[in-house]
Amino acid sequence: MIRFGLRLVLAGGREALTRLLVIAAAVAIGSGLLLTTLAGVNAVNAQLTRYASMYPQDSAGDADPLWWSTREDYFHGKQIIRIDVAPTGPNAPTPVGIPSTPGPGEFYASPAMRDLLAAHPAEELGDRYPGQSQGTIGPATLPSPGALLVIVGGTPDDVAKLPHARQVTSFGDAPALPETTVDLILGVIAGGLLFPVLIFIGTATRLSAARREQRFAAMRLVGATPRQIAIVAAVEATAAAVAGTAVGFGLFYAFRDSLASIPFTGMPFFPNDMSLGLLNVLLVALGVPAGAAVAAQVSLRRVRISPLGVTRRVTPRAPRAYRLIPMVLGLAVLFFAIGFRPPTSGGQTAVFLPALLLIMAGLVLAGPWLTMVGARVLARYASRPATLIAARRLADNPKAGFRAISGIMLALFVTSVAVGVITTIIANRGPAPVGSTEAGQVSIHFPEDTPAAPDTLFTELRAVTGVRSATTVRENPDMMSAIEPGLIACTDIPSAYGRCAEGATVAEVATGLIPFRESASSARVWPAASVPLGDLPQLPVMSIVVDTDGSAAAVERTRTVLELAYPTFWVGPNVPGDFESDFANTLRGWEQLANVIIIASLALGGCSLAVSVIGGLTERRRPFSLLRLSGAPVRVLRRVVALESAVPMLAVAAIAIGMGLLAAHLFLRAQMDYTLVAPEPRFYVIVVVGLAACLGVIASTMPLLERVTGPETARSE
Amino acid sequence: MSVVLEARDVEFAFGQTPALRGASVAVDAGEILAVMGPSGSGKSTLLHCLAGILVPDSGEILFDGARVDAMSETQRSSLRRDRFGFVFQFGQLVPELTAVENVALPLLLTGVRRSQALPKARAWFTRLGLDGLEQRRSGELSGGQAQRVALARGLVAEPQVLFADEPTGALDSLTGEHVMDLLVGAAREQGTTVILVTHEPRIAAYADREVMVRDGHVNAPDRIAS
Repeated sequence: MIRFGLRLVLAGGREALTRLLVIAAAVAIGSGLLLTTLAGVNAVNAQLTRYASMYPQDSAGDADPLWWSTREDYFHGKQIIRIDVAPTGPNAPTPVGIPSTPGPGEFYASPAMRDLLAAHPAEELGDRYPGQSQGTIGPATLPSPGALLVIVGGTPDDVAKLPHARQVTSFGDAPALPETTVDLILGVIAGGLLFPVLIFIGTATRLSAARREQRFAAMRLVGATPRQIAIVAAVEATAAAVAGTAVGFGLFYAFRDSLASIPFTGMPFFPNDMSLGLLNVLLVALGVPAGAAVAAQVSLRRVRISPLGVTRRVTPRAPRAYRLIPMVLGLAVLFFAIGFRPPTSGGQTAVFLPALLLIMAGLVLAGPWLTMVGARVLARYASRPATLIAARRLADNPKAGFRAISGIMLALFVTSVAVGVITTIIANRGPAPVGSTEAGQVSIHFPEDTPAAPDTLFTELRAVTGVRSATTVRENPDMMSAIEPGLIACTDIPSAYGRCAEGATVAEVATGLIPFRESASSARVWPAASVPLGDLPQLPVMSIVVDTDGSAAAVERTRTVLELAYPTFWVGPNVPGDFESDFANTLRGWEQLANVIIIASLALGGCSLAVSVIGGLTERRRPFSLLRLSGAPVRVLRRVVALESAVPMLAVAAIAIGMGLLAAHLFLRAQMDYTLVAPEPRFYVIVVVGLAACLGVIASTMPLLERVTGPETARSE
Repeated sequence: MSVVLEARDVEFAFGQTPALRGASVAVDAGEILAVMGPSGSGKSTLLHCLAGILVPDSGEILFDGARVDAMSETQRSSLRRDRFGFVFQFGQLVPELTAVENVALPLLLTGVRRSQALPKARAWFTRLGLDGLEQRRSGELSGGQAQRVALARGLVAEPQVLFADEPTGALDSLTGEHVMDLLVGAAREQGTTVILVTHEPRIAAYADREVMVRDGHVNAPDRIAS
């Protein structure tokens, strides 16, 4: 029977071959995307693991330890990772990615860092890494081809004094990011993209099912048993899926390099990071054909194939309201979390992650019920024939109507949560606006023992073109009753940061002269301090604040001067927007990934819908063609198709985005006390583009509608 | 009686295969005309040409004196929707709709409000002995019931002409006769002209007149005493 099934597929004439090719092509696209998603997840994991490996823990072993200190520096708002290393003996391990450990006065730079060093004057960047460049850091240690990384050699004594210096005896066992974080990322990607891909593959294998079922009925007439029919159906679906999967692998490897260069996470991947594990390969190579065979069996169960023809089984049982429970439960957990926030990040993950997953599962589960209720209401009041037909069809089998759009719902929910959270965080903690006082302020903070500053520091700083002032903030000894932690002589306060209270000589000020989460203001009045002016020079220095004109050259030259003056800094001299800018860039990378998911899932959803539309048309070609013969304009039928597919899709998109933004708001309230900031217009534009792509795919079925419902259908059937 | 629909010297071919070769026939208002002939003789093609579904390669189709063959596709669609009714052999009910909604469909297509269309459709259920079946779907109706629903759908908009293409072809003889009784009764009551394509003399006997289509020609009409 298997051989017979194969013969039917391969030598069953033009129609059979066309069907095979169409299904194989659809499966090829689906499995190609599936492979890209899996490889993308692996690439993200590799990126995160390499990032984590730049922060190794102390390790014990037989080898001589290597002193290691990782610090973060900035240049034009981009983060530079600086690693200082010093071997303590000849057996000390060599950092991954370079041929030998650099000695004092030597350094290695990543390719992007070398380009940056070559492109800018030494006093802005290169002077921070004095000595001889020994070469380029290889990809084995870089999270991304665009990563800015410098490995600087030093003496053991010098590196040991650096903050958070570690003694490392081996590499390769660095712990990656916390598992929950990785799980969350994988969950987001899986939920957002894998689901629509799987739905699409499942739908594609049911292409032209009605035509196939008629052929099966003819086979039953000549004596084939239901079991034999099941085998033939499985063979047909599997053959197309095997061919499609093989092409999908070809597509994936053909486009892998191009895909890797797209900065989905804000940084491009190395092509080799977009790799597939054995499990991934087996999952797709065996899972897709096996899934196709199962889908074929399931679709056969929905119809009764008798020797006299094919009849749809009775209307499926209507979905019940209990399907709403998980979604309501998920929202309830988020509401609860606003009042009761777990104190640890692990506890928070334990609350938020299940809540989001509950809502996601709840949306998929509740979808058919919502579709049914909406369709019934529509059917009750529909006055136009197209609305009536479409609403009745959706109300009859809401599960089938919802199946093709469930992927869209999930993808849009996940991405709306992500975009809502990201937009709000960026709005609250984004970089300082260009031209503001903050954007021109470079400061260095000394949380612990203040190293002695060179005598010439302030002269050097004031000599930098664009520097307006350089001020020292000292530690306030009155830690118990002080309003602000720093002290400054009233005469030293730059006018852009405010002034002293009337009659005061020393003022209490914020560490960087700008209170937390506030902006610099010349109108600010700093409270008087009880410390006499004469005692001020004896107090430890807390920070140095340099006010510049905000030009990139002035900021970076100031930063370089400060770094050279305080080579053991922990957090590099920074502009208030530096961390935020880098953080915002990372978040924007995730936002970009969310946008890719939106467009891909909507386009895939459109393809799934198109397949459903074709199936629905084929099932109803005779009544539809007879309706046309009776004078029903073809636009009525077009409207039926549009209402059956586009309206639920648009409704689902609106619900998913609404629910996603609500979940994001609840998450932000509970976690950060932020109120949701509406996503930027770009988000809506992307959603609209995605929806347009989806509608375009649906519209592509319209010529088929006209063809299959033409007068010849009525004559020939 | 005045002629309501007429075919004059109509020729039509499917590619190289001629189906009608100079067919002419005229139907009076209120008349029931049976078009008979063996399979492949061209009787359904003639019906489709008369109904404005197909446009003849040559010749004329006149409805109430207007040239149907010269109308645009949109005009012919409007004509079919507003002035004609149809009953086919099988499979004409939209499966998603209930029986009563199927009957109301032609009214809804012409813009009648749902609140007016549904009561009008329901009245036909009593008339055709279909009481209680209003909310059934096509899959839940027997062949005879489905055909009576289709008949109600064909007549509900009170068309001037009802085209019935083998309306009893998929029914047993007893059910077929019952459907024909209803069809003829309702048509006479409304004064609707009926063009009935059939190859069964027993069904053709319900007509006022019958014509034979053979090799694309319409034979000389014979009047049947009513």
